[in-house]
Amino acid sequence: MNSEAIVKETRAYHCLECGVCTSSCPVARVNPSFSPRLLVEKAIFGFGDEIVRDRDLWSCLVCGRCTSRCPSNVDYLNFIKEMRIEASKLGQKGLFSHDGIFNTIMELQSLSLQQKRTFWITDDLEVADEGECFYFVGCLPYFDLVFGEGGYCDVGLKPTDRARNTVRILNKMGIKPVVSNDERCCGHDLLWNGDLEGFRRLAELNLKTIKKSGAKKVICLCPEGYVTLKRDYPLYLGEQDLEVVQLYRLLADKLKEGKLNFVESGSDNPVKVTFHDPCSLGRIAEIYEEPREILSGIPGIELVEMERNRADALCCGTSGWVNCSSCSKQIQIERLKEAEATGADILLTACPKCGIHLSCAKYNSDIKIEIKDITDLIVEKMV
Amino acid sequence: METAEIRIGVYICHCGINIASTVDVDSVRDSISKLPNVIVSRDFKYMCSDPGQELVIKDIKEKGLNRIVVASCSPRMHEPTFRMTIQQAGLNPYCLEMANIREQCSWVHEDREYATEKAVKLVSAAVAKASLLEPLEEKEVEVRPEALVIGGGIAGIQASLDIADAGFKVYLVEREPSIGGHMAQLDKTFPTLDCSACILTPRMVEVERHPNIELLSYSEVIDVSGYIGNFHVKVRKKPRYIKMDKCTGCGMCAEACIMKGRIISEFDVGMGKRSVPYIPFPYAVPSKYTMDSENCLFITKGKCGKSPACKDACSSDAVDFEQKEEIVELDVGTIVVATGFDLFDAKEKPEYGYGLYDNVLSGLEFERLVSSSGPTQGKIIIGGKEPKNVVFVQCVGSRDKSVGNEYCSRVCCMYTAKQAHLVHEKLPDAKLTVFYMDIRAFGKGYEEFYDRVREEGVRYIRGNVSEIIKKGDRLLVMAEDTLLGEPVDIEADLVVLATGIVPRRDVKEVANLLKISQSPDGFFLEGHPKMRPVDTATDGIYLAGCAQGPKDIPDTVAQAKGAASSAMTKMARGKVKVEVTTASVDTFVCRGCGRCVEVCEYGAPNLEEVEPGILVSQINDSICKGCGACSVACPSGAISMKHFKNEQILSQIEAVI
Amino acid sequence: MSEEFEPNIVGFACNWCSYAGADLAGTSRMKYPPNIRIIRVMCSGRVSPAFILKAFQMGADGVLVTGCHPGDCHYIAGNLKCEKTMGTTRKLIDVLGIGEERLRLEWVSASEGSKFADVVTDFTNRIRGLGPLSGKSQG
Ligand SMILES: Cc1cc2nc3c(=O)[nH]c(=O)nc-3n(C[C@H](O)[C@H](O)[C@H](O)COP(=O)(O)OP(=O)(O)OC[C@H]3O[C@@H](n4cnc5c(N)ncnc54)[C@H](O)[C@@H]3O)c2cc1C
Ligand code: SF4
Ligand code: SF4
Ligand code: SF4
Ligand code: SF4
Ligand code: FES
Repeated sequence: MNSEAIVKETRAYHCLECGVCTSSCPVARVNPSFSPRLLVEKAIFGFGDEIVRDRDLWSCLVCGRCTSRCPSNVDYLNFIKEMRIEASKLGQKGLFSHDGIFNTIMELQSLSLQQKRTFWITDDLEVADEGECFYFVGCLPYFDLVFGEGGYCDVGLKPTDRARNTVRILNKMGIKPVVSNDERCCGHDLLWNGDLEGFRRLAELNLKTIKKSGAKKVICLCPEGYVTLKRDYPLYLGEQDLEVVQLYRLLADKLKEGKLNFVESGSDNPVKVTFHDPCSLGRIAEIYEEPREILSGIPGIELVEMERNRADALCCGTSGWVNCSSCSKQIQIERLKEAEATGADILLTACPKCGIHLSCAKYNSDIKIEIKDITDLIVEKMV
Repeated sequence: METAEIRIGVYICHCGINIASTVDVDSVRDSISKLPNVIVSRDFKYMCSDPGQELVIKDIKEKGLNRIVVASCSPRMHEPTFRMTIQQAGLNPYCLEMANIREQCSWVHEDREYATEKAVKLVSAAVAKASLLEPLEEKEVEVRPEALVIGGGIAGIQASLDIADAGFKVYLVEREPSIGGHMAQLDKTFPTLDCSACILTPRMVEVERHPNIELLSYSEVIDVSGYIGNFHVKVRKKPRYIKMDKCTGCGMCAEACIMKGRIISEFDVGMGKRSVPYIPFPYAVPSKYTMDSENCLFITKGKCGKSPACKDACSSDAVDFEQKEEIVELDVGTIVVATGFDLFDAKEKPEYGYGLYDNVLSGLEFERLVSSSGPTQGKIIIGGKEPKNVVFVQCVGSRDKSVGNEYCSRVCCMYTAKQAHLVHEKLPDAKLTVFYMDIRAFGKGYEEFYDRVREEGVRYIRGNVSEIIKKGDRLLVMAEDTLLGEPVDIEADLVVLATGIVPRRDVKEVANLLKISQSPDGFFLEGHPKMRPVDTATDGIYLAGCAQGPKDIPDTVAQAKGAASSAMTKMARGKVKVEVTTASVDTFVCRGCGRCVEVCEYGAPNLEEVEPGILVSQINDSICKGCGACSVACPSGAISMKHFKNEQILSQIEAVI
Repeated sequence: MSEEFEPNIVGFACNWCSYAGADLAGTSRMKYPPNIRIIRVMCSGRVSPAFILKAFQMGADGVLVTGCHPGDCHYIAGNLKCEKTMGTTRKLIDVLGIGEERLRLEWVSASEGSKFADVVTDFTNRIRGLGPLSGKSQG
């Protein structure tokens, strides 16, 4: 798509130049040279060439704050995606964090290599090779090796805990999910970094794997994986005969049905927690209440909201492993301080990546608040 | 960044037949000429010859080349040559890349086809990198003609005198009230038995009188910043409560002090007593008194009799309880670290009864005991009597993993021999036994001295003492004579433990202050164990004496002279070149996580608060050595290594496969 | 050229010891298979896991990283840092299905020309034995 087509496609023509996007944008707040409004403007006035060479094209977090508030319904997220696809064609790319290992790991997953990605499965977990329900794990095993204990960028958490948690919870619900060693990265980051071909390769391989297992239903913990499978796979590869479910939605239902139960609290003093809405789970998938319903179902837990929550929630500061910078750090510290200001002991996240980025920001800082995943808490308390 | 179009010239060397006999040079030349940005691709018999270099220069001028690739021998061989060549033609020397097709291709392979294919890949990689090369500026920094010497033991004294004699200003910082260090505490010195004070005192006095030496005694370095040529140093001068300019060293204050004879003398390692105002030993330099503030009643309690007796006694009105600490700031070009050692604390080996029994002494206590300036004026008296049976135990705290010291302290064998000799000299009838594991008499005249001591009748038993227990008012020393394979128990009136040399208790703090490293034994780490024994990894900081590891006085002095000379070399030239291919931080990208600071061995990166709460790493390129560790550790990709950027290396990887 | 599989091997060598060791193998005219192509870095501690992964992505069948022996690194401990990052990398490539045996880390000093030649020969043979990295797009 040329920039004119992109402008048309994403309703950028309708831009009112109101500036709501820029003033909503967390990046623009810390980096005044970045402005979503000006990017749209430039495109409208035919400076698409400039945009695709602009470092700031990669600074957008695709957090969707602007889109959700735009009075003209400009589809800013797709605007960025399409512009990045164009930029990629010219060999442009963002500045990869971690020297680009994650990008390469994603690309390597599209080769027909025999992975060993299920190393995290412990004996107590019940998983199947074939079945109704497919648990889509995502890149957690790779994150584990880099960010977990002993990894060369240890940020003090163990990403595969989330995967084990998920299987434990599903087992408790009587579900023995398919977990496949042939699963690949969902392709979210490749897509949003403009590598449409790479994304397609991964998506095709995943669909093949899922279908081969006989599953009709895919459960995702990772919100990015969820939106990718649910929205982007059909978009780019056609309708699939698959039901894609986000874990918290499933659990909220189970809670209502009385199938998810928790131990009674042993103490009168509730543990105060606060919850960070991940962009993909919240603004993109519009799953706001389910995690909260689950939390309110756990005795001995008191949820205190951060100043900015639900659709207003701040982003965890970086996405797609590009352009992680001083801006990201400032956004993260702002978010962590906001969490601390609630007086909560624990900051809960619902996205493994948010967990990683926020823990990373804590490194060598004076932020004290503990960062956990909702599934940590569920596993701890469920009976 | 240059915006000009990249124009690469590639030169493939035959090296006579060294390359050409295995690599098809013509075919390499032709393949390479097809690569993007390559303007000329040539081959030549000897690229390093004058005509070869002329060829490059001519092409640069005529064809407007701005990047040069030479495919020939190892860059370790001719990179400097070709850098100079292209510089002559007006190009930046860093716009050169070499492909090693001799040592790493033609000389190690036989199959012409494979070797040629490999050569093409290697040259392609060099071309790929060359397209991304950036010109770099060489930098020199000025070196101030002033040196800081930390520690005034014999090592610091010697280094200071040498540097000062060469005409440079020296600031000698000594923590204690006097310089002299451990050597001042020794009686006689092996192997020549010179009296320690007799050879040391003249040097101490020389320090005091030297016009180029400023002695900052009773002072400590509290902060060091900067880098070679320009270190900024903060020194805390502790208050002596006695004015240096007024005190004549007469000692009336000490005589008058109501605490006289009640305070333990550190210099006599607990065996003598002193007053609150004190001079550590009679020939101290500076010969001025110092108030021991921790024990002074007036300073700690605010009251001492009606008025402090010392103040009343001083006829020069030198006592000044109002004195405050003073921070002195210095700028120096080089630093010599000569902080010496601590004695191993024998209490860490409780089986030897040290600290429990009065007649078990450490080696240093024994030095004070036999010294004519010591607490007994050199008479060997223990519990009121002269000992009849004296046992020496070697290797206490050395070569002993159970206390974490794997190394040999290098002086205990010899000082034990010396001490045995001194007892023999003073008490010819005493029975003397030495327990040892090995005798290390490696120095000049050492074996001869050891031989002499054995001739004097000292009995050497090979075996490590397992235990010392009380038996009546004597001691029972238990060991195995490993040569005979039988147990030996010896009754003794005095046991002297040959306590070893350990790193200073505050060695870690000093290391952090100076951003230098420690070796696994805890002493400061030298630049290279063989080739750079007096350097540290940090340019401009040198090591002397026991601070670097255990050694005797001759070695200490030799190393001090080496450190002084290294410092002088830099100061004499007045300028040093610093590394060009260093790390640099994109401050916009930097997340201020501090991983680079953690990983750098040289202390080059520093987190600075640029705005409240916002930390950014700044890498000092005069300190950075360009190893690249920080760049790997940096999660955000903020650090790029000049001449070894990620893009450059990735382009090589791509081209080489 | 024989029909036998000839692997692509990328080598990283630190300037001070290993690259010099490789040069010594050359000046001593030792012979080793031509499959390896060395990229010079100042220190093994400069070798980012990203370089290794990229090499495999680009089609390498094996990667050999060489550095100074522990204690000899020109930059004090770059080699030990490399050991740590290579630990992570090894696990990553194993989980990716590349196989950890395709990455090797060796200490080669400037005087170990013969060790360099031996290591390269042995590693090349092993990779040849493993066959091409399956799934890579064969050119
Ligand atoms: C019992 C015994 C007997 C010995 N007998 C002999 C012998 O007979 N012959 C022989 O050759 N060798 C002998 N030695 C070895 C000899 O003592 C050492 O070689 C010598 O003292 C080393 O000198 P130095 O200057 O390195 O250290 P030191 O003498 O320890 O001097 C270091 C100085 O630095 C000062 N200092 C420390 N830290 C700081 C700081 N942070 N800031 C400022 N100043 C600081 C200290 O106060 C001290 O003055 C003997 C050693 C012992 C223990
Ligand atoms: S998506 Fe988020 S980061 Fe991107 S422009 Fe909009 S508000 Fe800013
Ligand atoms: S915030 Fe995330 S992307 Fe950025 S450095 Fe940390 S872990 Fe990497
Ligand atoms: S390149 Fe090496 S020396 Fe330079 S700042 Fe980084 S870690 Fe330190
Ligand atoms: S490691 Fe990178 S992001 Fe972290 S402080 Fe250093 S330069 Fe900044
Ligand atoms: S210089 Fe060789 S490993 Fe660091």
